[in-house]
Amino acid sequence: MDGQGQPGSGSGGAGSDCDAVARAFVEYYYNTFDANRGALAALYGHTSMLSFEGHAVGGAEEIGRKLAQLPFDQGRHSICTVDCQPSPSLPGSILVFVSGNLQLAGEEHQLRFSQMFQLVPNEQGSFFVQNDIFRLNYG
Amino acid sequence: MALPNQGTVDYPSFKLVIVGDGGTGKTTFVKRHLTGEFEKKYEPTIGVEVHPLDFTTNCGKIRFYCWDTAGQEKFGGLRDGYYIHGQCAIIMFDVTSRLTYKNVPTWHRDLCRVCENIPIVLCGNKVDVKNRQVKAKQVTFHRKKNLQYYEISAKSNYNFEKPFLYLARKLAGDPNLHFVEAVALKPPEVTIDMAMQQQHEAELAAAAAQPLPDDDDDLIE
Repeated sequence: MDGQGQPGSGSGGAGSDCDAVARAFVEYYYNTFDANRGALAALYGHTSMLSFEGHAVGGAEEIGRKLAQLPFDQGRHSICTVDCQPSPSLPGSILVFVSGNLQLAGEEHQLRFSQMFQLVPNEQGSFFVQNDIFRLNYG
Repeated sequence: MALPNQGTVDYPSFKLVIVGDGGTGKTTFVKRHLTGEFEKKYEPTIGVEVHPLDFTTNCGKIRFYCWDTAGQEKFGGLRDGYYIHGQCAIIMFDVTSRLTYKNVPTWHRDLCRVCENIPIVLCGNKVDVKNRQVKAKQVTFHRKKNLQYYEISAKSNYNFEKPFLYLARKLAGDPNLHFVEAVALKPPEVTIDMAMQQQHEAELAAAAAQPLPDDDDDLIE
């Protein structure tokens, strides 16, 4: 299978800050997903939205529960591409688009996925995930 | 229906879709058939592995192209492309997990939304496991929807051929069709307590004579 290559990146001339935040976020997000995905709830806020394979949930608590209760134990994400853009109409916000592969324990074949995040600055000077859309790429 | 890169045959062949929750043993079940295992093909763009399973009947050979997912069902429902042109189906649950039986109506609904009026077999897998959570007499969904039900144990090969024989008879329109050669299967990995299983089968037969219970396992929309 493919997907073991170096993550590519295209920031569309958006500047390196955006790029650095996106890369750091992506690394943290998928490492946490693969190690202890319930802990991802901390990245979301009460206005956050997640669309996971067409299933919509809102708010950090519900999102954390949805991720924690997915019916598989361990997965290993390998990231192929990370793209980002600033969202000038929402100052300081960043749109991040990720593509990659996911190997589930006990499955022979990797799954391909795409995921989009909107990162919005919070009061603590960091970011939270305002929007999160996840899709497997198949069919 | 074979994949584009997969061989076709000059005898009747049918697309069989296998659905059910992740971990119920769908892949383990189709992999028991040895020649299918040699000829299987994976197509990453549609995320499916197709196992061609051949059986020899008194009317000649028949092939089931068994469509098996790569685990996408663990994320939610499957895409329509997985069901389209399905000619027969197996819905699998795990008798050691109540939740997988509770989700059977959802799988049945998703399947029937795309494939109208195809023969369907409901299979309760892992009946070799001592601590069953879904008792034979609690399985009633098939009676409400006119499906065939079999208790199976993929790892022991118990009842492996039953679902295929039922589907072959329905597809051929011949209730007397039968298999005339034993299929080469992987050796059993577990043994099944036959006395115990006969008791389960008797319970199932007794339950079939009882009136259907109220909506205990109906789909909650």
